[in-house]
Amino acid sequence: MTDRLEAEALPVPSATSRRQSPLPKLADPAAPLLEVRDLKTHFRLERGWVHAVDGVSFRLNDGEALGLAGESGCGKTTTALSLVKLLPSNARIRGGSVELFGIDLVPKTERAMQRYRWREISIVFQGAMNAFNPVRRVRDQIAEPIRYRLGQSESASRARAVELLDLVGIPRKRAGAYPHELSGGMRQRAMIAMALACDPAIVIGDEPTTALDVMVQAQVLQLLEQLRVDLGLSLILITHDLSVIAETCDRVMIMYAGRVAEEGPVDRVFREPRHPYTRKLLGAFPSIHADRRTLEVIPGQPPDLVAPPTGCRFAPRCAFAMPVCTEVDPPDTRFADGVRVACHLFPVGDADAEAPAAPVPAAPGPGPGAPAPSAPA
Amino acid sequence: MTAPAVPVGAGVVAARPPGGVISVVGRLVRRPNGFIGFAILAIFSFLAAVPDLLVGPLQTAVTATGPRLAPPSEAYPFGTDQLGRSMLNLTVHATRISMVIGLLATVITVGVGAVLGIVSGYVGGRLDAVAMRIADFFLVLPTFVLAIILTGIIREVIGTGSREIFGIRLSLLVIVVVIGITSWSATARIIRAQTLSLRERAFVDRARVIGASGGHIMGRHILPNVMNLIVANAVLTFAGAILTETTLSFIGLGDPFQPSWGQLLEAARSVGAPGLGAWWYFVPAGASVVLVVFAFTLVGAALDSVLNPKLATRR
Amino acid sequence: MGVRYIASRFVTAGVTIGLIVVLNFVLFRMMPGSPERLLLGRMPGVSANVLETTRERWGLDKPLFPDQFVAYVSSTLQGDLGFSYAARGRPVTDVIAQRIGPTVLLFGLGEVVAIFLGLALGAWSGWKRGGLIDHVGNGVSLILYSTPYFLLGMGLMIVFATGLGWFPTYGMRDVGRVYPGQLEELIDMARHLALPLATVSLGLIGQYAIVMRSSIVETLSEDYITTARAKGLNDGRVLRSHALPNAMLPTVTLIAINLGYVVAGAITVEVVFNWPGLGTLTVDALASRDYPVLQGVFLLLSVAVVLANLLADLAYGLLDPRVRR
Repeated sequence: MTDRLEAEALPVPSATSRRQSPLPKLADPAAPLLEVRDLKTHFRLERGWVHAVDGVSFRLNDGEALGLAGESGCGKTTTALSLVKLLPSNARIRGGSVELFGIDLVPKTERAMQRYRWREISIVFQGAMNAFNPVRRVRDQIAEPIRYRLGQSESASRARAVELLDLVGIPRKRAGAYPHELSGGMRQRAMIAMALACDPAIVIGDEPTTALDVMVQAQVLQLLEQLRVDLGLSLILITHDLSVIAETCDRVMIMYAGRVAEEGPVDRVFREPRHPYTRKLLGAFPSIHADRRTLEVIPGQPPDLVAPPTGCRFAPRCAFAMPVCTEVDPPDTRFADGVRVACHLFPVGDADAEAPAAPVPAAPGPGPGAPAPSAPA
Repeated sequence: MTAPAVPVGAGVVAARPPGGVISVVGRLVRRPNGFIGFAILAIFSFLAAVPDLLVGPLQTAVTATGPRLAPPSEAYPFGTDQLGRSMLNLTVHATRISMVIGLLATVITVGVGAVLGIVSGYVGGRLDAVAMRIADFFLVLPTFVLAIILTGIIREVIGTGSREIFGIRLSLLVIVVVIGITSWSATARIIRAQTLSLRERAFVDRARVIGASGGHIMGRHILPNVMNLIVANAVLTFAGAILTETTLSFIGLGDPFQPSWGQLLEAARSVGAPGLGAWWYFVPAGASVVLVVFAFTLVGAALDSVLNPKLATRR
Repeated sequence: MGVRYIASRFVTAGVTIGLIVVLNFVLFRMMPGSPERLLLGRMPGVSANVLETTRERWGLDKPLFPDQFVAYVSSTLQGDLGFSYAARGRPVTDVIAQRIGPTVLLFGLGEVVAIFLGLALGAWSGWKRGGLIDHVGNGVSLILYSTPYFLLGMGLMIVFATGLGWFPTYGMRDVGRVYPGQLEELIDMARHLALPLATVSLGLIGQYAIVMRSSIVETLSEDYITTARAKGLNDGRVLRSHALPNAMLPTVTLIAINLGYVVAGAITVEVVFNWPGLGTLTVDALASRDYPVLQGVFLLLSVAVVLANLLADLAYGLLDPRVRR
């Protein structure tokens, strides 16, 4: 077995060359790694369907790190879990497609999905304390997918698990520990080791550092970043911590109430946020560099997703809301710098211009009485 | 139905069952298991309330009218026993005895358990430690064997004879008390746990700060808040009490002059009804026990999901 | 498992057994009349020798406390539980020893069958919760749970013994039959055992299935089950490797705690089938007011239940690494 994990920092390799297991037969080498189109995942409650994810589209290229951000309940975790159809029993994917190497996973049966889970897409769960089985050794839990998914022998998969733990900085002598015997940071590292077990194409990090204290957070993030570069992983990082995305990701996708508000390269979106929600979110976020007193609070509550409002879902809380906002769904507008915005303030993109269009107010007033800017012509 | 989609806010003081007794019962019977349970219990409560109106007074060896150990016929729809008594008459009268003993035993069990649980949880300290140690002891003990011995001994001590209290013979009241003595511990444990968490709540602190006495706080603040739990527990205790009474009577601690279902089953066994193929001797009483216990369990489960909506929304 | 955990379990069990002995002493003295009259008055045909030994052993001419108590505790510790009234002065331990075998056979086998089938049924219906198996299994479990054991036994008897004639109605062997060999005797005993065993097992299956089902349902909402599914493991493996080991933990404890309760109902099965074990002994002793025997049975069963709980605690310590401190 050629062990690419022990190779030194590789240049970003292509999808096919760095995989030790062959792609699925139907895979289209020309297709993007992951292409999600108009995904709709709804939950059934007694009073109706919750439109938790309601028309989300995005693309993940090979070797790219995409950050998913938004308030809790905006659908970012549901979006990620929909990719491997790991949903609660009352959830249904009611529309759209999830194409991995050009293969649509949405129509796949539960049994067929098992083939894609962990081998193609693995997950680093939030809160490793609960995500690990408390009564089984960490090493054995990491060895499990190697043993049963890759068909390796008991001893080979255990040995591999110990190697993986070594890779994330857990000494071999701790490999036989139970989850509760490890510190929070070590558990999260072990979780990362487990996610790498089957050499997946995509790793999803679901708030992987939320439960940790700041110092440990930094270490775990550094580890993730290093592994991503070394192994050429493609990463989807879910977090409400925008500074994590700023440090780790290439692109960022801001979600609000089950829809994508804004998506684009991290430096573009963070430097020049276009969507009013993105701006509020950046303002509401206590950055390490910023003074905490400048922290902004977004007035109002996210909408009830059983009966979401027509038009833009952020309109009721938006300082720049116009009559059209509550009537018509905002279109996806693309800009030349790679940013995509769903907002009536930007009905037309600037495929030619380098910089965003002028009418964006540089510093939006926080008060609800702020005058709505006129839409660009 | 209006189970909230989002768990109720944790800090909210849920002082009363949501919507009062009528609404709780209303929501209970709208659940299929609650409705079936309630319907069965209503029928048996009716039988227990007016047995004389339905089947005449209890038949005895003297007033028996039928042939001996005869299978069901038009005149005797449930057949007859070895003395020629109508099994229908006996079973309906046994309903009253079994239900009343079950009710009294439940009142004692839940009463003792609730008082001990609240006081132990609220006062805490050494009293709590001792009380809960005893409760654990009773939980582990094979209480049924203890109940057998206690029943025997108490009857010897007080010498039962034919005295009656509230129309129930003393020998049966001994069973009531013994069931109470041997089964209070589970209730006490549950109520204590709830009391412990209530004790830390703000409204109890407020009451303490304005100088309310311990008794006042327990009676006015804690009791109303554990009432849901007490009711839910009482429903399940009732089922257990009927099972215990039936079993105690079956092994010979019943009273032949006031037969309960267990007493009828004991008679059936000692006559050898199963060996003689006389199914009608034990099927009516047996089915009654199973139906009533089953109904209580259904109502208990329905009550649980109505009073704890959080459980209902779990996937 | 740490020494402290084991030691604390042993201490708890020891204290409980001590309390049981004290309770037994109190019960013994609660009986009306002087203990001497009770102890001796109901034993017609007992030799003067036995009377004298008894009086001395129990310290009956000395004060209740500490002498009689000490005498009682020390004789109990030596395995001397007094004399049976009904069995004309035979030692209680003898009387009980004679009846232990059949009970252990019946309930030992019954527990094993019920634990396997009950846990399997509960795990299955919890795993397929909301499905047909769950609804049927849950309904059957609830009805079995609501049925007193003896009633179940009477039902089985009238159908399979009286009606179909497949099995004998009572006893452990055919009365008065001389067996040509050990095998024939064993087969006959098995035929006698079948219905009581089926009754005990069925009665327990309902309870165990209910406990296991709720435990599995609880476990399935845990995050590590989601992890296991995310790993692409098939359902069978998720159940075997992740759901079952964790769901077993509370079940082990609950089975042990319920044992005291189970013993009760189970006694009556012996009565229905006239199985010559502790259950029939209890009922016979009750009918003849043979309190020493009743107390002996109570002491024996209590200690057995406490020891079973101790075993369950130790098993829990082995199964759950979190308690190994």
